[in-house]
Amino acid sequence: MSTTATQPPEQSQLSNALARDRLGVAAVVFFVMSAAAPLTVVAGVVPTGLAVTGLTGISIAFVAVAVVLAIFAVGYVAMARHIANAGAFYAYISQGLGRPLGVGASWVALLAYNMFQIASYGGFGAIAAPLFSDWFGVDIKWWILALICWALTAVLGVLDVAVNGKVLATLLVAEIVVVIAFSFADIFSPNFSASSAPLDPGTLVGAGSGALLVMAVTGFVGFEQSVVFSEESRDPRRTVSRATYISVALIAVLYGFAAWAMISAAGGDVVGRAGAEGPDLFFNVASDQLGSAALHIGHALFLTSLIAAMISFHNIISRYTFSLGREGVLPRAFGKTVPGTGAPKNGSLAQSALGLIAIIVFAVNGWDPLVNMFFWGGTAGGLGVLLLVSITSIAVIGYFLKHPEGEDFWHRIGAPVIGTILLIIMTYLAIDNIATLLGVEPGSTPAVVVPLSFAVLFVAGLIWALILRSSRPEIYAGIGLGARSATAQGGGGFSAALASTEENK
Amino acid sequence: MATSPQLPLADDLFLTAHDSVKGKCLLSPATLGLGMAAALIGELVLWRRLDLIDGKIQIIDDRPTGDPAATAVLDQLLREGHHRAIRDWISFLATGIAIDLVERRLSRAGLVQRQEKRGLFGSKVSFVPTDSMIAGWPATRIRTFIGRGEMLDVPDLVLAGLILATGLDQHVFVTLDARGRSQLFDQLKRRLPAMLHELVSQTEAAVGDAVMARRA
Repeated sequence: MSTTATQPPEQSQLSNALARDRLGVAAVVFFVMSAAAPLTVVAGVVPTGLAVTGLTGISIAFVAVAVVLAIFAVGYVAMARHIANAGAFYAYISQGLGRPLGVGASWVALLAYNMFQIASYGGFGAIAAPLFSDWFGVDIKWWILALICWALTAVLGVLDVAVNGKVLATLLVAEIVVVIAFSFADIFSPNFSASSAPLDPGTLVGAGSGALLVMAVTGFVGFEQSVVFSEESRDPRRTVSRATYISVALIAVLYGFAAWAMISAAGGDVVGRAGAEGPDLFFNVASDQLGSAALHIGHALFLTSLIAAMISFHNIISRYTFSLGREGVLPRAFGKTVPGTGAPKNGSLAQSALGLIAIIVFAVNGWDPLVNMFFWGGTAGGLGVLLLVSITSIAVIGYFLKHPEGEDFWHRIGAPVIGTILLIIMTYLAIDNIATLLGVEPGSTPAVVVPLSFAVLFVAGLIWALILRSSRPEIYAGIGLGARSATAQGGGGFSAALASTEENK
Repeated sequence: MATSPQLPLADDLFLTAHDSVKGKCLLSPATLGLGMAAALIGELVLWRRLDLIDGKIQIIDDRPTGDPAATAVLDQLLREGHHRAIRDWISFLATGIAIDLVERRLSRAGLVQRQEKRGLFGSKVSFVPTDSMIAGWPATRIRTFIGRGEMLDVPDLVLAGLILATGLDQHVFVTLDARGRSQLFDQLKRRLPAMLHELVSQTEAAVGDAVMARRA
């Protein structure tokens, strides 16, 4: 701790103190990648996706999505320099397209993020159950394992214990090493024959292309968090944009390469094998090159990465809920923290309650934890994020039409317009292919419920915003500004107190 | 009922932030730091040394106040003339400077004492109220005034605002009934001067920011 009395007056203690935490490109890239959970995507989402959709063009889909997201990021990162609360899609949408659409988007985001969280419980249960019986010879039901993880997450969430940064870093690096090592082992496997199917651009325009694109988007979720550091980066104009492009490129190369190597080494019937072997496909195709030790390490990392992702994501959701509670977009109770720890307790409890209900419902109905919970949850969340990215892209155009200062044509209009067109096409394909994505008949319940639930929440949020506009204009005015804004009239104790007096008068 | 003596704003907030039974701090170190930083700036506003306008600090009088803690902050403000954003100053003083100044002032007055707690991983030094009764003084005073339906003075209004902004109200104001609460809130709304209102709002935003950024 620095003290005023003991230090000689420097040029500016204040500048130094505030600059101490400034982040560079590497730190931001690292933060984004840690949300990406490489093994979960490469060993979890990709093989399950192969089995459910029967589509193999996943590598080219990763590349295509990366290109679209990079174009989108040009305007997105530019707008982040001009607004508060960057990092939350609804902040962009509130300022670019109006607050009602922003509130609708904030609720959609809450659902999408919760879907990822719930997916991770199912994924852990489904993946850990066979491993536990293999390692320890104990046969435990998936939902018991899911509940253990859920309880761990819930307790750590209320206490607001984060996974230590160094632990996360070690896990992430280890995961990336495992993905690369297994992929190279695939290449040297006797069964390997370089397949062109994962890279066939024709799949991007063929049947089921929307399903592939959503699966790929799921792998990139977290990239949008880079802009959170707009205010805290060393060079606001360069650090965040570079970090975003680097992260998107790294994710595309890593995932695209790993998926290509796995499919190439899996032999003729990769879809059949994916169905039979599930997430083990990733480990099995490389196993003859690597010893059983490597396999165990890979499996163990798979589980730890899921747990780490679970805990981190839970914290993100409870903070997001806190922010919405502070703004008055959600009930004020969510805007409170535990004074002694600063933990956003109510948001955490609400997320845990939702997770518990989901696990129980899936267990009671006997639904498949891998396909129905992990894959459906993950890809439905991916669809939600795709919707949000698309609306945000339009919002960027809207914002810069009103505030053209400080950015050139390419950042304001050029890239955002191209990005928006591409994103709208992707969204259309995604919704059109939703049945393929989920592996169900078109028009069947899941294929209707998933897009409909987003639509219903979006409209409900929109209506709520309109209600706020007429009944609580001071709250309405602060929508999209976030918990860090002094002008937000939301649920902090002081502003809530001021707002409540108005009611009593 | 006699009311207990009123201390400088930051001292009152420091005491309020400590449990009146065990003396334990009720706030996370980051939130306590933000509260202390805001309270010291608030003291300088009450001393008529600063104006807070449009998120910026303006020095209107550079004479020392006679109080070492507030004067130390004023000196720092004078040295760093190019930085004026209230938010930056709250963040800066919250890095430990403000807590340190307030702890020294309180221990000079004999109201807090150093406590060393030996734990598994080395010892932790903190300052706790010398008497568990002392910690309860400021909150009791506010509750007494409100209970009698009397007006709070400006320093106590700022104190109440900062109690709400830091989340201490969950400890301090739980015993207020609905009528007392609405009376307090009404006083804040009507009688807290605009500059101090801004200070409290900025503090609340900084606390929210700290929660979002996991610093709280």
